[in-house]
Amino acid sequence: MSLYLKKHPWLAWLTLVVLVTGFSMAIVWAQKTITPNAPAPVTKMKPAATHPVIIKPGPATPRLDTGLKDKAGNAVTVACSTCHSTTTPNVLRNTAEDLFQAHRGLQYQHGALTCLSCHNASNYDTLHLADGRSVAFPDVMTLCSQCHGTARRDYDHGSHGGMNGHWDLTKGGRIRNNCINCHDPHHPKFPLVQPVLPPRDRISVPKAEGSH
Amino acid sequence: MSDPTPSVSPATSDVPEWRRYLRFLGNAVSQSVEGGWKFYVWMTLLTAIFLVGANAWAIQVRDGMAVTGMSDHVSWALYIANFTFLVGLAAGGVMMVIPAYLYNDKEMHDIVLIGELLAIASVIMAIMFVVCDLGRPDRFWHMMPIVGKFNFPISMLTWDVIVLNGYLLINVHICGYLLYKRYRGQPPVAKMYVPFVFLSIIWAISIHTVTAFLYCGLGGRPFWNTALLAPRFLTSAFVSGPAFIIVAIQIIRRLTHHRFGDGAIRTLVGIIRITILVNLLMVASEVFVEFYTGGSHTGAAKYLYFGLHGHHELVPWIWTAVAFNIIAAIMFMRGRLNELPVWLNTACFLAFAGIWIEKGMGMIIPAFIPSALHEIVEYRPSLTEWKVTAGIWALGFMIYTLLLKITINVYSRNMRDAQGQRTIESKDALAFGEHI
Amino acid sequence: MNDPSTSPKTPCSGNCACSGNSAPPPADEPTGISRRTVVKALGATLGVAAYAKALAPLTELTKETSMDEFIQKHYKELSKEEMAAVIQRLTQEAKDHYGADVTISDPQPVDGVKFGYALNLSICNGCRKCAEACHLENNHDRPSHQSYIRVFEMSKGSMDFEKGNAHYDHPVPQPDKYYMPVQCQQCEHPPCVDVCPVEATWKEKDGVVVVDYNWCIGCRYCEAACPYHARRFNWTKPQIPAEEINPNQSYLSNRIRPQGVMEKCTFCLHRTREGRLPACLEACPTGARVFGNLNDPNSEIRWVLENKRVFVLKEELGLKPQFFYFFDE
Repeated sequence: MSLYLKKHPWLAWLTLVVLVTGFSMAIVWAQKTITPNAPAPVTKMKPAATHPVIIKPGPATPRLDTGLKDKAGNAVTVACSTCHSTTTPNVLRNTAEDLFQAHRGLQYQHGALTCLSCHNASNYDTLHLADGRSVAFPDVMTLCSQCHGTARRDYDHGSHGGMNGHWDLTKGGRIRNNCINCHDPHHPKFPLVQPVLPPRDRISVPKAEGSH
Repeated sequence: MSDPTPSVSPATSDVPEWRRYLRFLGNAVSQSVEGGWKFYVWMTLLTAIFLVGANAWAIQVRDGMAVTGMSDHVSWALYIANFTFLVGLAAGGVMMVIPAYLYNDKEMHDIVLIGELLAIASVIMAIMFVVCDLGRPDRFWHMMPIVGKFNFPISMLTWDVIVLNGYLLINVHICGYLLYKRYRGQPPVAKMYVPFVFLSIIWAISIHTVTAFLYCGLGGRPFWNTALLAPRFLTSAFVSGPAFIIVAIQIIRRLTHHRFGDGAIRTLVGIIRITILVNLLMVASEVFVEFYTGGSHTGAAKYLYFGLHGHHELVPWIWTAVAFNIIAAIMFMRGRLNELPVWLNTACFLAFAGIWIEKGMGMIIPAFIPSALHEIVEYRPSLTEWKVTAGIWALGFMIYTLLLKITINVYSRNMRDAQGQRTIESKDALAFGEHI
Repeated sequence: MNDPSTSPKTPCSGNCACSGNSAPPPADEPTGISRRTVVKALGATLGVAAYAKALAPLTELTKETSMDEFIQKHYKELSKEEMAAVIQRLTQEAKDHYGADVTISDPQPVDGVKFGYALNLSICNGCRKCAEACHLENNHDRPSHQSYIRVFEMSKGSMDFEKGNAHYDHPVPQPDKYYMPVQCQQCEHPPCVDVCPVEATWKEKDGVVVVDYNWCIGCRYCEAACPYHARRFNWTKPQIPAEEINPNQSYLSNRIRPQGVMEKCTFCLHRTREGRLPACLEACPTGARVFGNLNDPNSEIRWVLENKRVFVLKEELGLKPQFFYFFDE
């Protein structure tokens, strides 16, 4: 080894050049990957005309599914007031097990609430808040928000509840679900669902035409 | 088949050197495909295997890589495993050069060319494996600087393209120059090739280091993400390369009826004795770190050696490799190995096969199992992959055979004789390394 | 090196090939063609024929790939006119190969917008509707159920994917599990971009990492580099029935990909660059997904980052994902 290095001093130079080049490459690269990005500039959003965020309203008047189908196969529903305007409800019957007639089989699981915690015994076309004030059915979210304040807060900031449309409201509007579009008020916990589109990790080869 | 060169004697000095060189190359190639019936049988067999592989590859390009056993979870497999191994073989081939030139080992000069030719064949095979692993080989030109986009220096793959092609050129130059000079009956000029020989030594280390960096630079693959990878690659390369050369020397001796390279075999055995143990030591430290540390980053090692969650596709592979390497290491311990050809060649085969598994299937596949999100999707090579692999190896053997034939033809002054008869048996001593 | 050889060197004798002469014809063959030559010619012919036969499948490809595609420039180097021609060609290809009428646009990043995505793990119920929406929106291969989103069923009390499972197929949500959808995190320092040898993938100004499907060579190095299993390869030509193809496409996102190239989630840039929400968010029945402009201090995404306990996956890798996870409780 030494023999050659003595004879060919350029060898040492070559090695040096290779190493220096390599290190400088490495440094350039490291700079590229280590240098923290400058904080993103907060752009002044030009106040532009914003499109509306429409929250789907609740049902105009509450109706009950009779379980029957008409000729076209549509569910036959009947307005709650059909019976409630003519009968006097027994306010003592206010758990799911006690119910009969039209309410038979109603799955009810909503904390310690009873029917009349929300329904208006004097007018079944409206609901009522905790302080007794009436709320129309389309404004059901006001009622839910009494207890579910955090969910309402998240909803208002777009981090709860499904939506469709635009993230950029200067370019278009947005449609949002209200609470009872997703949650059954009598059983607000999501039901179990069967997941869709299970992943497949093997790709099958289609038979190319002309191959035997 | 016919020789296109004109039949005027170009011995005059007004023929430029490069034209002579090109003529020599044409001559060498056209005559290297001449041989006895054994040679034709061997080449026909290799051609057949190569064509089977070429057909499998063509189908893969047409139907998509779904015909392989790969998936989005195991996205590199047998091809890249072979690529890694062959880069090592190419680097190991230059192992002959280090004793010859750095330590002035006279006897190693005899076989420097055999090693350099192995490097040429291995690099070509390695590049072919990468090409066969591409989804769109028709877009190869996108990788070319200037016409395409070459993501240098950030992508390690571009480094690899540079060093592999550079290595190929260096070795082609050295071999071509030495053979040409020999063929002209002139002593080679030192400054024309000695610098390149030293460059090839540094370069051999670089190709395998860069190939290791390709893997160990990935933070998302803990199995590869170890600083030991490059040294391990080099060490195992210096097992597989010399092991191959030892066997090749003996085959060439048998075919040419010349005795040469005894000292070289001794030196190479001495090299393997060390490197195979160092390699085992490195594997052992990897295993210790993985299993002593535990945790989910060691899932790959668990899967490789013992299976994970009821999946153990790789377990037989790796234990075969471990057994081969350990048995080979013990066999290499034996003294006077070069007088026991069966013993020696068995040890070389075991070491070669052991490294192939350990660096191929045992190095590439576990990085993907479990996946980056700890899923286990197993991999088994498909028939297509085996065909393509066999095809490329067959082509590599063809190239190596022809390169050796050219060398032997030149050295035995056997490019042609008066009767137009060609034989690889020569009356001269195969004075390999007379000038080299 | 060594002293010149001591072995006798015969000078060039004129018959040896060092002069480059062709050999004189052997004396015993006055009339040209020998048996050996015939056999050789026959062998060579057979060899060429076998070679042609072996590579025959490649000729069937030329029906699929055009010269225009072969010489197409990199996305960043296409002029407006060239891009228009490319889009015209791609539209025609969708018609020819899939029988679908599609429109392919090329929306550019909007100044001052940097996309961020957050996902509420307390709400996600693992129904996989996001993965399905992605599958449909992005014209994924139908038989393989390909999607950019993989949803993991995770064990409560653990963040370890080792205990996760993406192949669950029972009613969800299970009481002792939570669900974690994983897709491209659009890293600030994307390793996939670093490793690409041909710059076929890069990070756009709005933070989306995109792929030029007509430049990618399919080496899959990015797939090996990605720690989030976010990249997908087209192992074969995507199969989609004509009537299911989403015709609203863009060059860098959901146009039908060719065989043999990489693809990935682009935050539905054909939607989001026009201000619309990504398909996976719209499909989410629980509203677990929050999308918006990280540069806008009043955006929903910024509110989440500032008011929730947010974390990113594999933060220790230092890739700075722009995809965030948070819990309510």
